[in-house]
Amino acid sequence: MSDRDDIVPPGDTAPGDTGPEHPSFVEDLQTYSIGLLLAGGLTALSFWAATSHYIYLPAIPVALAALAIAQMGVHLVFFLHLTSAPDNTNNALALAFGLLIVSLIFFGSLWIMWHLNYNMHMHM
Amino acid sequence: MRFLGRLTWQAIPFDQPIPLLSGAFVVLVLIGIVVWVIVRGYLPYLWREWITSVDHKRIGVMYCVLGLVMLLRGFIDAIMMRSQQAIAYHAPGYLPPEHYDQIFSAHGTVMIFFGAMPLIIGLMNFAVPLQLGVRDVAFPTFNSVSLWLTASGALLVNASLVIGEFARTGWLPFPPLSEFKYLPSVGVDYYCWALEISGVGTLLTGINFVTTILKIRTYGMSYGRMPMFCWTALASNLLIIAAFPVLTATLAMVLLDRYLGFHFFSNDAGGNPMMFNNLIWAWGHPEVYILVLPAFGVFSEVVSTFSGKPLFGYRSMVIATMAICIISFTVWLHHFFTMGAGGDVNGVFGIATMIIAVPTGAKIFNWLFTMYGGRIRFTTPMLWSVAFMLTFVIGGMTGVLLALPPADFVVHNSLFLVAHFHNVIVGGTIFGVFAGITYWFPKAFGFRLDENWGKAAFWTAFLGFWLTFLPLYIAGLLGMTRRLQHYDVAAWHPWMIVSAFGVVVLIISAGCQVWQIVVSIRERDRLRDRTGDPWGAHTLEWATPSPPPSFNYPILPDVEGEDPYWGMKRKALQEALAENVHYAPVEVPRNSPTGFVTGFFATTIGFAMIWQIWWLAALGLLGAYAVFVRFAWWEISEVEIEEDEVARIAQSERPALEESLQAALAAEQTA
Amino acid sequence: MSAPAIPAARYPSGQAAASEQATAHGGPAARRIVVGYGFWLFILSDIVMFSVFFATYVVLLVGTANGPTPAALFDLRNTALETALLLLSSFCCGLASMAVERRNQLWTQITLAVTGLLGMGFILLEAREFAHMAAEGATPQRSAFLSAFFTLVGCHGLHVSLGLVWLATTMAQFLAKGFRQSMRNRFYCFSLFWHALDIIWIGIFTIVYLGGTMA
Repeated sequence: MSDRDDIVPPGDTAPGDTGPEHPSFVEDLQTYSIGLLLAGGLTALSFWAATSHYIYLPAIPVALAALAIAQMGVHLVFFLHLTSAPDNTNNALALAFGLLIVSLIFFGSLWIMWHLNYNMHMHM
Repeated sequence: MRFLGRLTWQAIPFDQPIPLLSGAFVVLVLIGIVVWVIVRGYLPYLWREWITSVDHKRIGVMYCVLGLVMLLRGFIDAIMMRSQQAIAYHAPGYLPPEHYDQIFSAHGTVMIFFGAMPLIIGLMNFAVPLQLGVRDVAFPTFNSVSLWLTASGALLVNASLVIGEFARTGWLPFPPLSEFKYLPSVGVDYYCWALEISGVGTLLTGINFVTTILKIRTYGMSYGRMPMFCWTALASNLLIIAAFPVLTATLAMVLLDRYLGFHFFSNDAGGNPMMFNNLIWAWGHPEVYILVLPAFGVFSEVVSTFSGKPLFGYRSMVIATMAICIISFTVWLHHFFTMGAGGDVNGVFGIATMIIAVPTGAKIFNWLFTMYGGRIRFTTPMLWSVAFMLTFVIGGMTGVLLALPPADFVVHNSLFLVAHFHNVIVGGTIFGVFAGITYWFPKAFGFRLDENWGKAAFWTAFLGFWLTFLPLYIAGLLGMTRRLQHYDVAAWHPWMIVSAFGVVVLIISAGCQVWQIVVSIRERDRLRDRTGDPWGAHTLEWATPSPPPSFNYPILPDVEGEDPYWGMKRKALQEALAENVHYAPVEVPRNSPTGFVTGFFATTIGFAMIWQIWWLAALGLLGAYAVFVRFAWWEISEVEIEEDEVARIAQSERPALEESLQAALAAEQTA
Repeated sequence: MSAPAIPAARYPSGQAAASEQATAHGGPAARRIVVGYGFWLFILSDIVMFSVFFATYVVLLVGTANGPTPAALFDLRNTALETALLLLSSFCCGLASMAVERRNQLWTQITLAVTGLLGMGFILLEAREFAHMAAEGATPQRSAFLSAFFTLVGCHGLHVSLGLVWLATTMAQFLAKGFRQSMRNRFYCFSLFWHALDIIWIGIFTIVYLGGTMA
């Protein structure tokens, strides 16, 4: 397989790739800058939500989770250029698969271990 | 700190005759082979054509050789276990407990990680690029690295026989037994480092093959025209990517506990040993599907070929395969129903476990319907396939029985469980591997394996398997626990004796396998594959000569618009045989010592870490980094084969392909 | 998308007149796509590995063994600073992507250098935090919670450190070998890696630090 990158079949991009037709300098800069601002804002919101006393206490974990997921999305879209366009299908599918596995491991383990700890009296 | 860490002369088992003598024997044989290779002048050839090869076909063969040798090693462990249990009724047997514990641990570890895994990876390596109509996998040098990292792990595990000892925990090192406090010797360290190293190799393979299957296929090969073996390879490698990081992380935590006194799984300071079981089985269950899915793919190819019919229900097969892939990640708790998660959790995972039997059943029906109405030829691969259908279904049914938590509470960790998983792994993966090896052997080497010895090997394996494992089902239901070094229950003894006889039949089978290879090599002219298609099969690899040139296809076939069964191979042949074909230079990846050198440094690092020889570990890391930088800096990774050479090779292929095309057209007429 | 006429000898498969046909119906993907996708899969596998450490951390959170607790140990100002550094570093890496795309050696080197400096700042702050905790007796050997904390956060820090080594190598390679395709492919991999590390850090500061101070 050679190095030529101008013979890409239509409908194929790699993640982090803006494709052989580059966006303009301004567009590019805009994308990254908007990403930075959004991510920064979401981060600030997270810190605020956790430390201020404005939010109903039991709701804070949910708020933090939502903010974190939103920020991860910002990274994926603005920095990694992952979109829902058809040429990104493989990349999006791989991500979906990865997220499924991560959820199963993370939430599955928590659920299982909580029950095990409870039944086996693991009061550490 | 001592110069050689924990390594002393006591590491060599001078006081244990069995490992000492067997270890000495193996070392002598190895030295003998190396000397023979050097004296006969084969070393340059081996280095150039095999060790530094990045050709997927060569790597596939090497994987299979590694797997077969390790299968034999694991089998010897099994012989020892069965014979011990046959005589250890009201008697100590001939294997002391500390030794017996290492044997059953090594048996499982070697069979799964260094027997079955290399075998299925070897088959996928050999066949997938050919079936996709392309020249090689996505990352050929990484492919070589994967092979040699796996070999490195195998070497470390086998070294433990002679230097030090192996783990005594069983094939999964459950804490707290595996913690330093209870097993301070190097056995668990050998296990962990060997698997961490080979795990990296396997993960690279997973990435390599998913990328290849999704991004590197020949022209016109849409997903719906991919051979079934490639679909199962995709599912299996997706599972590798998903599951092996879990293994890496979990064993890393065991190592941190052992080496640095962390408290992940310790009994004190807040550790939670049950978390290990949870994590290791989150890897462990997908692992067995990684093993069996490629075998399913082999059966799809073999059954379709030797029934002379397209595979029945291609689409439902694909859906079933991907369903198995996803569901296999939702059932892992069924390995520890008895650990106490309670009815709710057990119920959910029990149901999920039963659900996963459904797509598997759908596949069995599809194979049966493929055979129905076909013109069946009972060649060796077909025999393995039919035996698989019978054996695996029974094993699967005992699996559904075990999926019910109340039933599992009775038979968990009994010989019933042992019989079940051997039933599905041997009946599924091993039968599939032997079918696949027999099926693709002519493509790899240019001559078939001898049918008669193949059939002898098959029948003795089939009979031997059932004779060995049916008694274990019964003993398990009679209450016999697994991993017993001795026992006092009279009812179990006769079954252990029958099982030992089964092992004798399996020994004969292994002998037949070896003899089959010897005879086939000796009589290779009689068994020569002249056309490239000895079976009348229909996937693209059979449109190449046997063996194919290094670049597989002088011109990548275009299979647009062709139906997968009759059209693709015929069109590929017709294209190759067209009158004024324009050949162009072909770029092939260049041979590289990167893989072998990486494996060398990995072995060094692993051995040094096991024995805590810190300076050696540092040296090994430095060396590995240097290799990496050199590979990263190296530019010329490909070599060009000139168009004249391509044309010459293509010309020399013509007679064989002509004959193959005639046969294919004739078969198409009579179908 | 129309492909330019390509001399037969340069075409990946060596197939002469089929270039138009090829782009119409498939064939092996270009090297850049293959490398990018393979590395994307590797990143996903790395994220799966991190999810194991995350799960272990949350499970062992209660295992403080009468020792230091999260609330007692974590300094959110430090965390905020680390987060800012890593986020800016990611942004800078994006700027570097722009420079590489436009084959501008000067700006590539500048933006990559700043990316690296910000990353190094992150590592220094984290190392200081670890040293401070150890000095107070909050070592990984003290309790399961601390084992899990040091492993999760330390694993991320290790990835960042290795990324910095890779970054330095990348800067050297651009200087030595220019902007040929293979170099740009590797840089795409690096930027994927760097952004992914920031994504994982989002999980860490949310679950470990913010979650810890609330518990």
